[in-house]
Amino acid sequence: MNALLPDIADATHADDATHPLNALRMSGAEVVVQVLADEGVDVLFGYSGGAILPVYDAVFRYNATHIGPSGGEPMPLIVPANEQGAGFMAAGYARASGKVGVAIVTSGPGATNMVTPVRDSMSDSVPMVVLCGQVPTTAIGSDAFQEAPIANIMSACAKHVFLVTDAEKLEATLRTAFEIARSGRPGPVVVDIPKDVQNTLLPFHGEGLLPMPGYRARLERLEQSVLDDAQCAAFFEALAQSKRPLIYAGGGTIASGASAELRAFVADYGLPVTTTLMGIGAYDTTEPLALHMLGMHGTAYANYAVEDCDFLFTMGARFDDRVAGVPDKFAPQAKFIAQIDIDPAEIGKVKTVHWHHTGDLSRTLAQLRAWGERHGWREKLSERYAPWHRHVADLKHTHALDYDRASPLIQPYAVIEEINRHTRGHAVISTGVGQHQMWAAQYFDFREPRHWLSSGSMGTMGFGLPAAIGAQFARPGAVVIDIDGDASIRMNLGELETVTTYGLPVKVVVLNNIGDGMVRQWQKLFFRGRFASSDKSLHRKDFIKAAQADGFEWARRLERKEELAATIADFLAHPGPAFLEVMIDPDAGVYPMVGPGATYAQMITGDHIASRQSVQADGAASDMF
Amino acid sequence: MKHTLSILLQNEAGALVRVAGLFSARGFNIDSLTVAATQDPAVSQLTLVMHGADEAVDQLIKQARKLVDVIEVSHPAAEALQ
Repeated sequence: MNALLPDIADATHADDATHPLNALRMSGAEVVVQVLADEGVDVLFGYSGGAILPVYDAVFRYNATHIGPSGGEPMPLIVPANEQGAGFMAAGYARASGKVGVAIVTSGPGATNMVTPVRDSMSDSVPMVVLCGQVPTTAIGSDAFQEAPIANIMSACAKHVFLVTDAEKLEATLRTAFEIARSGRPGPVVVDIPKDVQNTLLPFHGEGLLPMPGYRARLERLEQSVLDDAQCAAFFEALAQSKRPLIYAGGGTIASGASAELRAFVADYGLPVTTTLMGIGAYDTTEPLALHMLGMHGTAYANYAVEDCDFLFTMGARFDDRVAGVPDKFAPQAKFIAQIDIDPAEIGKVKTVHWHHTGDLSRTLAQLRAWGERHGWREKLSERYAPWHRHVADLKHTHALDYDRASPLIQPYAVIEEINRHTRGHAVISTGVGQHQMWAAQYFDFREPRHWLSSGSMGTMGFGLPAAIGAQFARPGAVVIDIDGDASIRMNLGELETVTTYGLPVKVVVLNNIGDGMVRQWQKLFFRGRFASSDKSLHRKDFIKAAQADGFEWARRLERKEELAATIADFLAHPGPAFLEVMIDPDAGVYPMVGPGATYAQMITGDHIASRQSVQADGAASDMF
Repeated sequence: MKHTLSILLQNEAGALVRVAGLFSARGFNIDSLTVAATQDPAVSQLTLVMHGADEAVDQLIKQARKLVDVIEVSHPAAEALQ
C-alpha cells in the first residue's frame, strides 16, 4: 500500500489511463481501501469487530502512509457509540453533501444494528455504501459466532446487496456498489465481505465493473430519455389553459440537483412552489412564491393552494400518505396533473396523472424551459398568473403560521424563530422525529437545498444527532444544528460523546416536553387522552449532566421565557460543541394538522391559525396511521 | 385475476430471494414458481403464477424491474392484449 500516489482519484478518471496500481498484488482488505480512495471517499463511519478487522487495519495503514500536507488523515474513520449512529452519520454526510456516505461495520450485531439506517436511506433515496464484515466463507451457514444472514436481511431493506464469495470479484463489486448507490433513484447498497475474502491476496486492476445487463439497460434508457415536441407542446398548452398552476416538489428535486432549474422555471413562468418534507430547500422558502411545506403538517396556505390549484406540476414527489392521505381528493380542482420522476414505478402509483415523463428532473426541466422559450410560451404566460399570485399572497397573509405568543410558557415555535433570526436560512438543520421535527420544518427558513436533514419516510427517532455529526464532516465550516426532542435524542444519546471526541462544533437543541409529544397529540385527538406510555415525567434523565459528562463545556437548561433571546445568542456564539435544553410548553401542538385519512378540506388549524372553514375533528380512532 | 409473469434473472446469490421477497413485502402470494436454466449460464428464467388486481400487478411488475439483478419482466397475456 505504500506505492500509492497522491492523485490516484484523478488518474482513474481518464479512460485511457491505466491505474497506477494496476497488477499490484494486495489483500482484499487493501483492495477495499484503495477502491474507497479511488471513489473519492474522504471520511468513513464505523465500528470495528472481529470479522472486519483486516479492513480496519488496512484503513489504519492507508491513513498512516498518506498524511496530508496539513497533517490530516485522507480517510479518517469516525467511531460512533453504536453502529446505528455510524449509519446515520454516513446518511447525514450523504444528505448534506450529495456524495455517497460510507459506513463500515462488523458481522452479526454490527451489521444488524445497521438495518435501520439502511432502510431509512432506502426510504428517503439517500446514496450510501455499507460494508459489513462477515464470517469466513467456510463458516457461513454454520451458526458461527457473530454470524447473521445479512444478505437476506438487507435484501428487503436496501437498493441492492452483494455477498462477496469470490475474492476475484471483490474489486468490481465495490466499484459497482458505488455506481448503483448514486445512479438512477439513489439508495443504499450493502456489501457483505467474508473475512477470508478480506485476507486473500489479489491482483489489483484499478478498473472494472460487474455486468448488470438489466439495471444498466434501464439506466441507459433513463439517461437517454428526452421529451419530444408533442409532450412539450401538451405541457405548455395545458399550462396556458390554467389560471392557478402550482408546483409540488419533492426530495427528488434535491437528489437530482434540480434546485437551480426549478428556480429558473419559476422565474420564467411564475408558478408558486410547495415542497414536501423531503423537498424543503429545493426552493428558497423566503421567496414570495414559496408556500413552504404541504401535507399533514404543512402550512395552511400551502394546503389551501393545493385545494385551489387547477394545474399541479409534480416533480420528484410521490403523493405519499403524509401528503395525499386521500388521493382521490388531493388537489380536487386540478384539471391537469403533470409528473416528472426518475423512477418509472412512481408514475401514477398513487394518483393518476395526465402528463408524465420518466427521467432526470434537472435535465427535463432544462429541456422544458428551453422549449418554452423557443416557442414563445414564456412571453405569452408571463402576466397570466398575476391574480393567482395575489390569491397566494393573500393565503400566506391570512393563514400564516402562528401560536400563543402571550403564553408565560416557552413556546417551541418561538425557540426556532429565535434561532432562525440568527441563522437566516443558512444553517444545516437535522432533526429527530416527532413534534420538534414538524416545528423545525415549519418555522425555519431554508434558502438552499441540502440544509434540511430529516428522516422523512421512515420517521426514525434518533436520527438527528448522528446525522448532524455526519453533516459537520461534509460541511466543516457550516453551522450545523440538531433540533431534537427529549424522546428522540434518548435513542442515540451515546453519540453526544462522539461530538466532543472529534471536537465538532455541532449545536444540539433539545425541545423538552417531557414525553413523546406527537404520540400524546394523537392520543389526545384519537384516544380520548389516554396517554399510554408517552409521558416521561417519572424519567430521571438530567440532560445537562449527561451532556457535561460527555464533554460539552457549554450545556445549559433554559426554563424562563425572558432568557430565551440572550441564551440562544450565547448558545450560537459558542465556538465549540454546545448543548441547549429548553423546557417547553408540554401542551404545545403541531398545527395545522390534516388527520390520518382526512382531506385537506378537513384540515384542523388549531387556535392560532385562521381556518377557511369551521371543521371539527371527529375524534374517532381510525385504521389510518 | 390470475397472472403469469416471466422473469429473466441474473444468476446471482440471493437473486431468487429478492424476487420472492418483493412479492411478499408488497402483499402478494405466489401460487407457483418455476426456475429454469437458460442457454446463458449467467441467466435464469423464472415463471411465476399469482393472483391480483390488474393495476396492482402492473405496479408489482414496475417494482420488480427495479431489482438490480432482474433483466426483464414480461407479462405475456397482458402484452398479447395490447
